[in-house]
Amino acid sequence: ALVSVICPPPQNYPLYIRSVPTENELKFHYTVHTSLDVVDEKISAMGKALVDQRELYLGLLYPTEDYKVYGYVTNSKVKFVMVVDSSNTALRDNEIRSMFRKLHNSYTDIMCNPFYNPGDCIHSRAFDNMVNSMMMQVC
Amino acid sequence: SRELFVLTYGALVAQLCKDYEKDEDVNTCLDRMGYGIGVRLIDDFLARSAVKKCRSYSETADMIAQVAFKMYLGVTPRVSCSSAAGNEFSLILDKNPLVDFVEELPAERASLCYCNLLCGVIRGALEMVHLAAEVTFLQDRLKGDAVTEIGITFLRKAEDRKHKRN
Repeated sequence: ALVSVICPPPQNYPLYIRSVPTENELKFHYTVHTSLDVVDEKISAMGKALVDQRELYLGLLYPTEDYKVYGYVTNSKVKFVMVVDSSNTALRDNEIRSMFRKLHNSYTDIMCNPFYNPGDCIHSRAFDNMVNSMMMQVC
Repeated sequence: SRELFVLTYGALVAQLCKDYEKDEDVNTCLDRMGYGIGVRLIDDFLARSAVKKCRSYSETADMIAQVAFKMYLGVTPRVSCSSAAGNEFSLILDKNPLVDFVEELPAERASLCYCNLLCGVIRGALEMVHLAAEVTFLQDRLKGDAVTEIGITFLRKAEDRKHKRN
């Protein structure tokens, strides 16, 4: 199962959560919120380094017994979180990086839409298609 | 830069949508703004392109599509004549840079003509060269049609102009 979440400042609530298969979405909400806290911790720990780098792929945030959680933060402080099954050992680091990059690119396309107000939940078909195809590749 | 232009146009349309409740009002406003731009843009166009006088409506339509659109938007629509009288033309845009970032119209704005500014621009520019025309969108990709089609209907005959000069 794979979940992706997008979370811009200053509100720290997710604008977009999608999981495959969709039954466990509620359980993932909990995992996602705790991982957002971990992301915040990592950002404050990085401190100066964050300002120098343009993007920050945070890597494996923490492994639980079932899941591995990966984080990514942009220089505009938008947080992306991905939760992957631990059983999915085939996923490599650079694959995760490229998935985050695709998420980031689609997110900027959404931001450019004049009818999208920042802070709204994301309801774009193109975005859904991109996320679905990405998650199908993984699962 | 093109992105700044596209984003500015998008912000303009979004703001108009907030100001006016009805789609028709937004469309009218965009057309009026386009008209104001067109009556001024024509001089810039004529100065920069140094084209000769068009001798027929179809030459004018070709000029708009192949020179003006290319110069200002970077695309070249196809021109087709849609009436036997030779005064109705269609510009068919496969690619419309103004809607690059717009995925689809919001549900409550289904009859919004997003690029209605273009119609006003064409109408204003033609009027400054003494050609009255009606310009509207016949098809719009944002509304689900296959292509975006702008229809230009010239309202007075070219012979009238010659009479006036003599």
